[in-house]
Amino acid sequence: MDTTSLIAEAKARFNHNSAKAYLKDKYDSKFIVADQTGLWRANLETLNFLNASSDEWVILIDTFNNPVRVNRVELLEKLNGTYKTVMESWYKEWIELEKKR
Amino acid sequence: MNRGALLFAFNSPKYNYYDMAVATAKRINHFLDIPVTLVTDSESLPVKQSYQFDNIVMAPADKSNKRDWGLWYNKGRYRAYQFSPYDETILLDTDYMVNSDKLLTTFDLPTDFCCHDTTSFIMHPDVSQEVLSVYSFKTLWATVVTFKKTQRAKQIFDSLEMIQNNFDHYASIHGFIAATFRNDYALTLATRIVNGHTTPIEDVIPWNLLHVGKNTSVYKNKDDEFNTEYTVMFDNWNRGKIRKEYITIKDMDFHVMNKENFMELIHE
Repeated sequence: MDTTSLIAEAKARFNHNSAKAYLKDKYDSKFIVADQTGLWRANLETLNFLNASSDEWVILIDTFNNPVRVNRVELLEKLNGTYKTVMESWYKEWIELEKKR
Repeated sequence: MNRGALLFAFNSPKYNYYDMAVATAKRINHFLDIPVTLVTDSESLPVKQSYQFDNIVMAPADKSNKRDWGLWYNKGRYRAYQFSPYDETILLDTDYMVNSDKLLTTFDLPTDFCCHDTTSFIMHPDVSQEVLSVYSFKTLWATVVTFKKTQRAKQIFDSLEMIQNNFDHYASIHGFIAATFRNDYALTLATRIVNGHTTPIEDVIPWNLLHVGKNTSVYKNKDDEFNTEYTVMFDNWNRGKIRKEYITIKDMDFHVMNKENFMELIHE
């Protein structure tokens, strides 16, 4: 039996909250980037700090709480790329999810 | 540095772990593009094999463990270090459904040994994290372990062996039931012993292990061998009645606790 018939037969209801939680779980992990011997999360806080600084080299605390000296521009480019890619995919799936309301 | 995955598969009277391992190995090859070594015994290995593993290591199964649903041949996981032919290894449970290349990230983590310490249950957002006992530690999960061939990783696997051989003793100290040997519990204790009775944050995979748990079933949306879209159906008990709820998921790895469900997914 295909899943569409299965859902219809079981009179199953789409659980929006569970779907939202699943999306968060799925995409949260994709923000993680290993670069320049540290492990980073491409989040707004890190991106904003890297953007705001003008130094070539900065020292940041990575997700393992280790201070790591990094090339700011290189890390910014990498995290920016990851952030955009992941958010675009997340948004796309989110829009699909919203249609199921 | 050569990389690969390692699977243990010892058939029990109830479940064909070899079949599960073949399905998982194909998905590992497809999504992670790494070879797979199988650890199994002569009773589990069929005469005609439809899939070619990178290596097959023959080892006798320790058949001294059981759980509520029957015999469970999960002991001997400590031999992973010895049996892995790879410099960097992902040790996986055979009932882990690989749907993406996410596990490759574990090779990039700045550690020589890592596993999950936090789980999520699909459609069960508020399930609390498992602990060894009410006054012991949060459980680490042996479902996915990535390790390199280092002295520290070897020590963890050596400790795993020691704990398996003295499981009653550790159960008594930590207040859990010793009747069923759990690799998760042994791994939790082994990593703590080797790390000075702490769990370093570096040893934890920085995302949640996704389980398909009780009252939850997964169905393939397409009948492709490498399908990555699923419908997850959950029986939500409300005022004595079951209300069926569902979501669809795609490109997301998950661990199927219900072996019958996993077998359905690989055989449909």
